[in-house]
Amino acid sequence: MADLRYRQRRAISGKGPEPGQFGHSLTGLALDSQGLLYASGDSEIKAFDTAGRLRSRWRTQRPALAVAVSRDGRVYAGEEGQIEIFDAAAKAARVWRDDQMLGRVTAIGFSGDTVLAGDAAGRAIRRFDRTGRILNVIGADNNVGGLLIPNGVVSFDVDSGGVIHAANPGKHRVERYSPDGTLLGHFGKFSFDNPAGFTGCCNPTNVAVSGRIYVTEKAGPRLKAYSRDGEFQGVLAADCFDPNCKNIPVHACPRGIVYAADTVRLQILAFEPEAA
Amino acid sequence: MSQDLTRRAAVAALAGGAGFLIQKAHGQVVWQVNASRCLNSRLGEVGVEACNLCTSSCVVGLSAVRAVNEHSKCGRCNICPAYFNIASAVDEKGLPSEKLCPRDAITRKPIGRQDPEDPSNNFYEYSIDEDKCDGCGRCVMKCKEPLGLGSITLRVRYDKCLNCNRCAISTACPKDALEQIPLPEALKSGEARTG
Repeated sequence: MADLRYRQRRAISGKGPEPGQFGHSLTGLALDSQGLLYASGDSEIKAFDTAGRLRSRWRTQRPALAVAVSRDGRVYAGEEGQIEIFDAAAKAARVWRDDQMLGRVTAIGFSGDTVLAGDAAGRAIRRFDRTGRILNVIGADNNVGGLLIPNGVVSFDVDSGGVIHAANPGKHRVERYSPDGTLLGHFGKFSFDNPAGFTGCCNPTNVAVSGRIYVTEKAGPRLKAYSRDGEFQGVLAADCFDPNCKNIPVHACPRGIVYAADTVRLQILAFEPEAA
Repeated sequence: MSQDLTRRAAVAALAGGAGFLIQKAHGQVVWQVNASRCLNSRLGEVGVEACNLCTSSCVVGLSAVRAVNEHSKCGRCNICPAYFNIASAVDEKGLPSEKLCPRDAITRKPIGRQDPEDPSNNFYEYSIDEDKCDGCGRCVMKCKEPLGLGSITLRVRYDKCLNCNRCAISTACPKDALEQIPLPEALKSGEARTG
């Protein structure tokens, strides 16, 4: 097991009425190629620079449940029944609306030229082409008809090879899927006292991939890291979260900085390797 | 002036008391557990032991307060912290080896299409045998957010409750979670099950 040590580098935003704060919810995180950090929450997308200063914010049509930035700089916001797509100037460019396929979009990602949407209502990941045409469904072809998400959130990330890593908290594991929906493998199992395992009824709740696989858990809330093979590498953070946090959004950048959101204090915490 | 106000207040209090007694005589006021106050179910209480004052204080032999699982809110999880003692050793199937309920009042069964090979690949229905439950609140504490989904709460069972004027549980409860409400209100909210 790698001796992985992280420290909290910065806390961004928080709960409150100011433009750079969130009032009720903080649901998703994403980075663009320029290093701007995007956060979804309330009915807004906010963009922060690396120092944590608010650079821009704009409203979404419905409460924002997820955010992602494509390579061409478009910002995708996941909502109930739809995905809103904004251009680089934060102007609404398109809306994909589909109550069946986009019941409750709590995660968005990209694999090749396709767009992936985690639909918590359908407990599955939907794959679309760039025009919004549905291509296939991922994670639903099993005995329970989808991902087991008692927490009400589908969370996944896509690695550099296009493989989708999805949290399946009811099964206490992270599953790997190919874009066509084939289950490639999984790691993780229930454990109460071994931090390598996932505790409680349903963990991990959220997942991010950047070199390593990062996951967050609830009760007690913590941020952990695994190798791509599923080898446990360490607990990166735990005490810094409010104990009532759940569904902690997590996003990792190639430089090793990991962002995780305290969903009670509505604060984004940035962690970096201690050696950095 | 002040005497007049005092007299009016006394008359109002008497009238209110009389109203209460009339309602009481007709069985129209019942005790209920306010889940948002109950230590075992209210949010924000983490890392504390379950309160069992409903069990130890009730004048009824097996407390009139019982745990109830609201199935529509239940996550139907494979590893339910209210069913299993999740701190117990894991067995060969990957499940905790001990149950949480000291009276074995909770049962589970797989529902829907079943996968006998992989326990995690099923949904489960959790039922509480109210004839066994004594309202100790352990399962309620483990079911609440964020560990669980809060589908299990403590409720007064009116076929068991003697509807005492001064409920012993309400006297003991440190959170004033026992409160009286009109029976129609309890029936309307689905709180009451009169047996």
